Amino acid sequence: MAEENKWKPPGEEEEEEEDEVDEAAYKSARDAVLFIIEISPSMLTAPPPTDAKKRDRDTPTLAALKCAYALMQQRIISNPNDMMGVLLYGTDETKFQEEAEARGGLAYPNCYLFTDLDIPAAGDVKALKDLVEDEEESEKLFVPSTEPVSMANVLFCANQIFTTKAPNFTSRRLFIVTDNDDPHAKDKALKSSAAVRAKDLYDLGVIIELFPISKPDHEFDRSRFYDDIIYNASPTDPEAPAPMSGVVAPSSTSDGISLLTSLLSSINSKAVAKRALFSSVPFEIGPGFKISVKGYIIFKRQEPKSSCYVWLDGEKPQIATGVTTQMADDTARTIEKVEIKKAYKFGGEQITFTPEEVSSLRHFGDPGIRIIGFKPLSMLPIWANIRPSTFIYPSEDDYVGSTRVFSALQQKLLKDQKIGIAWFVARKNATPVIAAVLPGAETLDENGAQIIPPGMWLTPLPFADDIRQNPETNLIRAPEGLIDRMREVVQQLQLPKAMYDPRKYPNPALQWHYRILQAMALEEDLPEKPEDKTIPRYKQIDKRAGPYVIDWGHELHKEHEEWRKDNETATSFPAKRSAPPGKDDIPDRSKKAKTATPDGGPTDAEMKHAYMKQEHKKMTVPQLKAWLQGKNMSVGGKKADLVERVEEFFEQRR
Amino acid sequence: MADKEATVYIVDMGTSMGEKSNARKESDLDWAMTYVWEKITSTIATDRKTAQLGVIGLRTDRTENELDSEDSFQNISVLQEISQLLLPGLKELRQKVKVSDTTDGDAISAIVIAIQMITKHCKKLKYKRKIVLVTDGRGSMDADDISQITEKIKSDEMELVVIGVDFDDPDYGFKEEDKDPEKAINEATLRALVEDCDGIFGTMQQAIEELGTPRLKTTRPVPSYKGQLTLGDPGQFDSALCIDVERYPRVMVRRPLAASQYVQRSDLSLGHFSTQSSATIMPDVDGAEPGSAQPDGSSLASVRNARTYQVIDEEAPGGKRDVSRDDLAKGYEYGRTAVHISESDLNVTKLETQPGLEIIGFIPWSTFERYMTMSVSCVVIAQKTNSKAIMALSSLIHALFELESYAVARLVTKADKGPLITLLAPSIEVDYECLLDVQLPYAEDVRSYKFPPLDRVITVSGKEIREHRNLPSDALSTAMSDYVDGMDLSDLGKDDEGNPAEYMNMNDTYSPVLHRIDQAVRWRAVHPTGPVPPPYDILTRYSNPPEELVAGAKKKLEKLIAAANVKKVPPKVQSRKRNRNEIKPLSGLDVGALLGNSKSKKIKITRENPIPDFKQALDTADSLEATRDAVRQLSTIIEGQIRDSFGDIAYGRAVEELGVMRSEMIDLEEPEAYNEFVRSLKGKLLGEELGGDRRDMWYEIRKNKLGLIEKKSSDESRVDEEEAKAFLSSRS
Repeated sequence: MAEENKWKPPGEEEEEEEDEVDEAAYKSARDAVLFIIEISPSMLTAPPPTDAKKRDRDTPTLAALKCAYALMQQRIISNPNDMMGVLLYGTDETKFQEEAEARGGLAYPNCYLFTDLDIPAAGDVKALKDLVEDEEESEKLFVPSTEPVSMANVLFCANQIFTTKAPNFTSRRLFIVTDNDDPHAKDKALKSSAAVRAKDLYDLGVIIELFPISKPDHEFDRSRFYDDIIYNASPTDPEAPAPMSGVVAPSSTSDGISLLTSLLSSINSKAVAKRALFSSVPFEIGPGFKISVKGYIIFKRQEPKSSCYVWLDGEKPQIATGVTTQMADDTARTIEKVEIKKAYKFGGEQITFTPEEVSSLRHFGDPGIRIIGFKPLSMLPIWANIRPSTFIYPSEDDYVGSTRVFSALQQKLLKDQKIGIAWFVARKNATPVIAAVLPGAETLDENGAQIIPPGMWLTPLPFADDIRQNPETNLIRAPEGLIDRMREVVQQLQLPKAMYDPRKYPNPALQWHYRILQAMALEEDLPEKPEDKTIPRYKQIDKRAGPYVIDWGHELHKEHEEWRKDNETATSFPAKRSAPPGKDDIPDRSKKAKTATPDGGPTDAEMKHAYMKQEHKKMTVPQLKAWLQGKNMSVGGKKADLVERVEEFFEQRR
Repeated sequence: MADKEATVYIVDMGTSMGEKSNARKESDLDWAMTYVWEKITSTIATDRKTAQLGVIGLRTDRTENELDSEDSFQNISVLQEISQLLLPGLKELRQKVKVSDTTDGDAISAIVIAIQMITKHCKKLKYKRKIVLVTDGRGSMDADDISQITEKIKSDEMELVVIGVDFDDPDYGFKEEDKDPEKAINEATLRALVEDCDGIFGTMQQAIEELGTPRLKTTRPVPSYKGQLTLGDPGQFDSALCIDVERYPRVMVRRPLAASQYVQRSDLSLGHFSTQSSATIMPDVDGAEPGSAQPDGSSLASVRNARTYQVIDEEAPGGKRDVSRDDLAKGYEYGRTAVHISESDLNVTKLETQPGLEIIGFIPWSTFERYMTMSVSCVVIAQKTNSKAIMALSSLIHALFELESYAVARLVTKADKGPLITLLAPSIEVDYECLLDVQLPYAEDVRSYKFPPLDRVITVSGKEIREHRNLPSDALSTAMSDYVDGMDLSDLGKDDEGNPAEYMNMNDTYSPVLHRIDQAVRWRAVHPTGPVPPPYDILTRYSNPPEELVAGAKKKLEKLIAAANVKKVPPKVQSRKRNRNEIKPLSGLDVGALLGNSKSKKIKITRENPIPDFKQALDTADSLEATRDAVRQLSTIIEGQIRDSFGDIAYGRAVEELGVMRSEMIDLEEPEAYNEFVRSLKGKLLGEELGGDRRDMWYEIRKNKLGLIEKKSSDESRVDEEEAKAFLSSRS
């Protein structure tokens, strides 16, 4: 029961999944994002038509909401525990949290809390979707107030939302979307009080991100108002974003690329709160010569959240939270954590160690990255990999001058195509690994925005224990002529820009999972066909490489015939596994080709024959397994299960 | 599955084994047993029923064997018949292995008995048969019928290993001085026997030394995919290319032995247990209470996890109520909404896929960034029995190699598994060709974190600068370059022929924790008391740069350090006042002045905005009294919030405020102000003085480690670690 296994409480795998532990700690650092979007006549005016054939001429407000909608959907997948909210200000209507309203407060006039700060629910997604897609819906709400709005009040409103809804969050961010660079041009007192409220937000640990929009006739000028509101990365907060994130080019309503696209790209670049995996770990470049670095997870396989239990007997479906209690197996007595001892199974019994001994066994020195020496990059084979690399970037926290030293090393390694080899202990008592230190250059997209940051990467290397032997097989080297034909095929089919760009390939299974869930949660019709960008472009392949493949096929046939003449009698297969000659003559390019199964299993014809005569039950387990494996069917279970699977196969075929 | 094994160890326990030869601190028997125990415990550790072993004592006081009626088989005892040895058996065996009072007993006879045991046990079945003799060669031996023995050993394919205490071994480079002539003759006899049987003959010193090199476990390759490698769609186009392939793991992480959780059995008295808390658990030998004796003789009970499920119910006490697992349906979370999916529809969110390895396109080596690899790696080879496929794949491998290209492919290993994108790289060795495959990231797998460039500095105004304190000077770059070149590992090692080779090749590095735990468990099984010896040298060898390399690069490192001019930040430099003064918005506006913070004005901390108010009050506090007053005000607010909290609704805020208060008091070096409050708060929470049962709030404080500020965190604190720990764990 694979499904059941998911419910194994985390404690049981503690030791084994030690590598994952830091990832868990990482996830507990939660992020809350509150969008505040201005509603004003100019924010509700679509940009003038331009020469460019852009269909979407969204008003700045609508573009901002579309971004929020996109971000909400994205975060449900990528950060399912993080919160999000949407607050409109400058609206004629006023709305705040229900509890506060009940207390009779209309404390924040002209602020409309459209989505309260929380983990988004299906209803929130739907409401936002309707607002974005349904004009009637939005027209009701998009009525600018006639009274000027006090920014101090707006900021304090945000303060209250963060204080009540997202206490203890490691990251709280306020995304302001506006085209008004000087809301209190004439009222100095209001401007001052806004600055004071901004300081409150700073003291609360809220980071303000401004997404300014320039008007057709006016460039957004931060210095008029927003430079008093926004603080640079704080010197005391270790998790603060690097200084460069303070700079966002204003999106313009008039230039060639649509407002939505440019806004979306600036918001996307801030979508994830930057969280360090480890902070200020010493990086020892030589004995006694240390600098400090921080580590970040940039590559991480994103998986769908595992299934959960739902309670249906209430008014609406509710997720049941599981609580694990540990009890002694003999008396079913509930036990405290301190009572638990760790023991290793050995020879049918347990070998125990004191907790001190257990931790000393795992202790191989203090956390740190210690360079052992350097090697050419060519000595790092492509297979030497066990999990995604960790990104490291210098930090001045512990050693002043770390950045310049790091930079010197990175540039040297890049220039000479070298790598460092390091002994790496990520945390106290973490399993030590030997890692390659790879230099990474900054990569930029066509607009000059950063895709991959400059820095270095720690790639954990396998130990001898982790390296498997190659499976035995026979070597038949392709003749030159055949290789030449294949080269022509390969040359036809380079990927765009001759590179693999992950951004072009969303994970189809992950997207489909959430696409279906969204449809079910919003009670929409289920989509029929998934979009899968990983499926090769068959037509193009046929068009470009087809003739060359056919040439190659003829050549292969010819060369193979010749090879067979020379090797007819020689059993060139590993002992015990030789197949009768003639069986291996499989044409290489038709689906029907799969007649012979590997490893001496019965052929399809044999199996079918046996099945018709009900003799398949007499086959041996290895025979059944070999055949099922050839069909990519499960080979687990007892013989009866295997037989059943064979029967299923043929029954379906009839 | 691994082959069945039957190994018989013959251990010489004659009087002479009790001596301490060659200035060793332990007896020859203890020394030799280091080797035998390692071998035996390694076998036990496999936990395989088919890995069986027997033990024979040679030159024992007693005689216990099948041929014991005959003269030549005296003083030989079978200590352990061939079977899977478990921990109790190991303990019994330990009792039996001790130096005897006799010098009689013939090693050759013992080998005969071992042969007999194996023959009887294994019959004609498929077994790996092995005899290991450990002796000091100082007993008398009768080598008359030795040729018969050789014949039997060879015909039954037994492996004979003889490891001698202080035997000469010119290959290894050991020679015992003043060797007893009788021992020399015995050594020669045994050596001849072993050589005739194609066995292994060695000296104990080498055998023990080699124990320090961990053994690698070989695993039978199991394919993770069998099917076709295609280019194009064979269902649609005749021009599609298909090659039958199989995919096997190349790298798979071997995890250390996992510990399981146990608790003390409640039916055993504590006193009995505590004396051995760190030892193996011995059976209750005196059997005082036969009725309660456990079948496995263990005093530990395993820990079971019981899972209960709760839903929010505002009417239930505590706001939650338990629901039975049977009343629950399967579903998924979409944001915070539960999406119920009926049992029959569970697969609806699964993307339907067909197995296949389909090439999407090709990329040159040069554009691929090595750090993008996401997973362990596999090898892809052509179907083993298909010569045409082997030739076909070979042409692809060579074409990729010649074009310096990789293929990017979509892999589905089984129907309805999510597709993976993999990189297929050609690998050509002298006698092996394959594609290596490693997974690549999807769009969702890449987090977009931005970092400033490292080769230039961009100022706030957007200007690019090439000279800056964060950028290396030319001197630093040169020094770094020289140092990196000086620390080259590429030819520091030695290959099998002694030629310079790569140092620290992955095949020479062993997983430290894996082998350390393995070593410790096996050691503890044999030595229930006493500390575990230090880790094998090989496990820590690569934790530091090789000494000769460091010595050679010393000058270069000194130059580098000088050019880098790195300064360690002293720990106490971050004074709160100083940092707080630096905090200004981008414009540099003095917000403090706007607040009208004159020293005389006292800031009132409001319940709506407590944290900013508190911080600002501390900024303006000019006396200890003002600081204490701010703490008092915030304390009152926290208590009020808890008192008015419906269920746990306000606990999060209270925890955050406590956290702020705690860290600010550490910064201001006023730990007592916080400690005083948290002490009183604990009393009120547990005494139900803040609106009823508030134990959950106390739990939050414990969980978030918001206990007393101890000396470690603040020099001013009078609370030691012990007290801080007790404060959090005690319930009064």
